[in-house]
Amino acid sequence: MCVRFKLPNVTEMNDWIAIGALALVGVLIPLSMMAVSALLRPSVPETSKRATYESGEVPTGGTRVRFNIQYYMVALLFLVFDIETVLLFPWAVVYLDAIESDAVSLLDILGPMVLFVAILLAGLAWAWRNGAVQWAQTPRQVDTERNRP
Amino acid sequence: MNAATTTPLQSDVLLPERLGDLTGLNEFGLAGELLSTLIGAVIVGSLILAMTAVAGPWAKRKITASFTDRISINQIGPAGIGIIIADAVRMLSKENIIPENADRPAYDLAPIVIVGSALLGFAVIPMGSGIQLADPEVGLAFAFAVAGIASIGLVMAGYSSGNKYSLLGGLRAVAQNVAYEIPLVVTGMSVVLFAGSLQMSTIVEAQAEPLVDLGVVAIPQWYALVNPFAFVLFLIANFAEVGRNPFDMPEAPAELVAGYQTEYSSVYFVLVYLGEFLHIFLGGAIISTIFLGGPAGPGPAALGIVWFTLKIWGVFFLTQWLRSAVPRVRIDQLIEIGWKGLLVLSFANLGLTAAIVGVIA
Repeated sequence: MCVRFKLPNVTEMNDWIAIGALALVGVLIPLSMMAVSALLRPSVPETSKRATYESGEVPTGGTRVRFNIQYYMVALLFLVFDIETVLLFPWAVVYLDAIESDAVSLLDILGPMVLFVAILLAGLAWAWRNGAVQWAQTPRQVDTERNRP
Repeated sequence: MNAATTTPLQSDVLLPERLGDLTGLNEFGLAGELLSTLIGAVIVGSLILAMTAVAGPWAKRKITASFTDRISINQIGPAGIGIIIADAVRMLSKENIIPENADRPAYDLAPIVIVGSALLGFAVIPMGSGIQLADPEVGLAFAFAVAGIASIGLVMAGYSSGNKYSLLGGLRAVAQNVAYEIPLVVTGMSVVLFAGSLQMSTIVEAQAEPLVDLGVVAIPQWYALVNPFAFVLFLIANFAEVGRNPFDMPEAPAELVAGYQTEYSSVYFVLVYLGEFLHIFLGGAIISTIFLGGPAGPGPAALGIVWFTLKIWGVFFLTQWLRSAVPRVRIDQLIEIGWKGLLVLSFANLGLTAAIVGVIA
């Protein structure tokens, strides 16, 4: 498996120009819909209309409520695994070529990645055991449920 | 299937260049090329938008109605298809009510981000009949990356609305997306192991080779047939990614009103709603491309777009079927299915696939 570094040629550049063009279209479509809507729709401002929707009740308290700490835990876990998938991409691309070229043995190309994934999965097992991916119950809650008659 | 496997599925010429040749714009140098690229982008954008317009106001209602033994819309046009225009006019001409606690720039930008990110993903999808805007070497990674941008839009929508339901809906959407992103990408990686490339056209071509030749018909080597386990994992992860049943926690009408879209009205609501359908179709397009042979099918290669459309509508139909047939999971179940179930299974699938590919090769 030889490693080549090459400058992007014209056709490759065209790819990204085309993607840029679709990005432009992807922004222009919502903007034009907003423009059409601005021409069509009425505007009858009234303070009670703009009240925060809470199922018809008078809104109470702030809207920045406290939320479950687990959202933070799974986001942390995600970061670890997400960076790992970035590493997996180039590995998966060269995998077949590397084996067919007979330059490296199967163990040489599969082994390190299996080891790497295994380390991460050990991390997941630890997080799992400590309840990082368990959403609802703390150990105390589980205990009180068990003691319930 | 012979015809499809003998004729090339797609020419090497991408849509912008072909348009340039057809219209003669290529003779005008760089400006002409840019213009033909832009026309190509408009064509792809309109095609996807048209499909979404049929799916959102019409097909979704009709499908749900059939599952629940109702007649549904039937007043305007044949089978009520005119509801698409009626709904578009109705929704766009509603008053746009901005809630008093909204964070203005973010509140207005979120719908654009949600729609734009989904549309952008279609740039690399080979839709058959020569309709492919771009074919970069990192195609699949690009599609995953762009689909992931939607999470930002959802958090923006949820946080900036200044509403408790919206905030929780936005947070749930992100927790769900991050939990299922990893199984999705890792399962997609097992396809890359077979194809040896991230380029969408290469992945499609690799699936054109016959898996079993029965003489009369050759069953193509679609990766859904080669590795059905990965296909099922990918489907499940994809439904969670696009927030469909049984994983529609972020909206959960019974708990959160409408989640992150609670405070949106008028054109903003249309855009957020449209964005969801665009994401279902983008998910369907990725599934069709990497598991179902992309535009491959019997008949001449020119029919590619028809087969491709059928395949992504098949995925869409499946989402609507599940919507009618499967109960919603709870948020704690959702996280546990993702992190304890699918993640582990997807790594098992990747390891097994790598070992099998390694031994066979």
